[in-house]
Amino acid sequence: MLYRNKFTFEENDFKLKIGFFHFSSCSGCQVAFLDMFEEAVEILDTVELVYSNMLTKRRNIPPMDVAFVEGALCIEDPHQLNLIRELNRKSKLIVTVGGCASFGGVRRLSCGNQLPQPNHQSFVPITEVEILKPKVKYSIPGCPPNPALLYSFLLALLEVNEDFLQPFELMSLSTRASGLDIFSEVVNKGFCVGCGTCSTACPVRAISFDANCSKPSFNANLCVHCGSCLAACPQSFKPYPQPTYI
Amino acid sequence: MVVFDEKLLIGKYKEAFLVEGKGKNPVKVLFNLMLNYNLIDGLLTASSKGNNPRLILRSSELEIPERNACFGINSLLKKAVQKYRLSKLAIFGPACTFDGLNKTQYFGIGCNWTKTAIALKVSFLCPGILTERGFQAEVCDIFGKAEHVERFFFKNGKLCYELKSKSEVQIPTDIHHSYTITPCRYCLNLSGKGTDLTCVYLNRKDRTIIIVRSERGFSLLAQVQKKSPLSLTFRRILKEKFTDFFPFLKEKFMLNAADIIERVELGLPVPKWNDNKLRRFYRVLNSIDVNSEEEVF
Repeated sequence: MLYRNKFTFEENDFKLKIGFFHFSSCSGCQVAFLDMFEEAVEILDTVELVYSNMLTKRRNIPPMDVAFVEGALCIEDPHQLNLIRELNRKSKLIVTVGGCASFGGVRRLSCGNQLPQPNHQSFVPITEVEILKPKVKYSIPGCPPNPALLYSFLLALLEVNEDFLQPFELMSLSTRASGLDIFSEVVNKGFCVGCGTCSTACPVRAISFDANCSKPSFNANLCVHCGSCLAACPQSFKPYPQPTYI
Repeated sequence: MVVFDEKLLIGKYKEAFLVEGKGKNPVKVLFNLMLNYNLIDGLLTASSKGNNPRLILRSSELEIPERNACFGINSLLKKAVQKYRLSKLAIFGPACTFDGLNKTQYFGIGCNWTKTAIALKVSFLCPGILTERGFQAEVCDIFGKAEHVERFFFKNGKLCYELKSKSEVQIPTDIHHSYTITPCRYCLNLSGKGTDLTCVYLNRKDRTIIIVRSERGFSLLAQVQKKSPLSLTFRRILKEKFTDFFPFLKEKFMLNAADIIERVELGLPVPKWNDNKLRRFYRVLNSIDVNSEEEVF
């Protein structure tokens, strides 16, 4: 028997057990995971998918090393409340995937009593659920996150590449993520170079580039609070390694 | 004592060439040939005045920025890759453009398609970016009257502007420093580390120093030279010949470092997710060993 982080592995079954939990969301993040295609094959010998509402037939949730969570928690849904308890019991480490689970996403805009949802419903991002906070270690921005990013993230997780993982750890501590942050955290603090990366990263074109003032221009009505803009901004977080050439 | 050595100022590079373009701007000739020989299928850069980002698909539309006023180049990335399906895109701009691009390529945030679509990254040695009004105010400050700036270049270790009246103005570095936009006062990547090629504009329009940093840059230059040997002449130069821009680089770096230290000492806000971005540099100055080459500040 091998022991790692107080968790027991069988010698002949030394695979990282991962699961995918679905809360209130469009399932786009899980689809992005599937979009990894051939890259996913490369890591299949080191990773075992033990639970997913889309990909496995299991009804019971087995214990797992890493739980990837998409979607925000709907407080009015008893099934989701139970799922939160299960998630807390069965997982060692939680990674929130996408804007909804990490920062609230479009669910932040829900005010209840809307026509398709006549009951008042409230949505809380997974990063803000108190019982999960000790286990939520990483948050991946995007709506949905890129398959390439998810692949690189999984690879970094397997290799314990802390340099790559650190920004995602810092993102899990953030409760706000919208284009407004680009203004409060970058532009207003005199860090915006006007490169336009934020407008390229935005999946809904809420940020455009204003040629007159050479700064980004933000349309709050379109923003889905996915955090891509701030994460992509070269001035926003940790310096990243430069490409090294041989 | 702090010594800003060549490694910190220019970064790692393989070779440097003095390139002559037979009466034409060598950078323009280089991109023209690359487009004609299909080595690249598009060029993302700014207009010749520099203010607006431009996506160039045909060599007949080719223009490259000649002023240090490039903004928003990366905002056209999505258009270039997703709308026009370009797969061999070249990008020409200041170093900060590539800071954003390299970050998206490394993490894959927002734009995973940038990973494979970029064929060549070419930066110019950036003295700090100015807006149109910044240029006018700067020239007015030095020259006594506001005039349109046509191009910038380095001569005898100083930054110079060519004005509309074809007169040449030498710009004192400290005055230039005060007119650049705020983030350029904290930039420590003036020479475009993390790119394939870095171009340094010189006094003569038909001459440029090209610093080759990567194998990819080398091979593209070699292909251009092989296909059209008479268009550009390459002469290998040693670092001792960097006298045209190295003193400026050193001076500007010192001013930027002083501004960074001032910002940290005053406790001015630093980016949200990285409280030690500027403090890291502060630590470098305090002689704690940090591998400065590995990171873009």
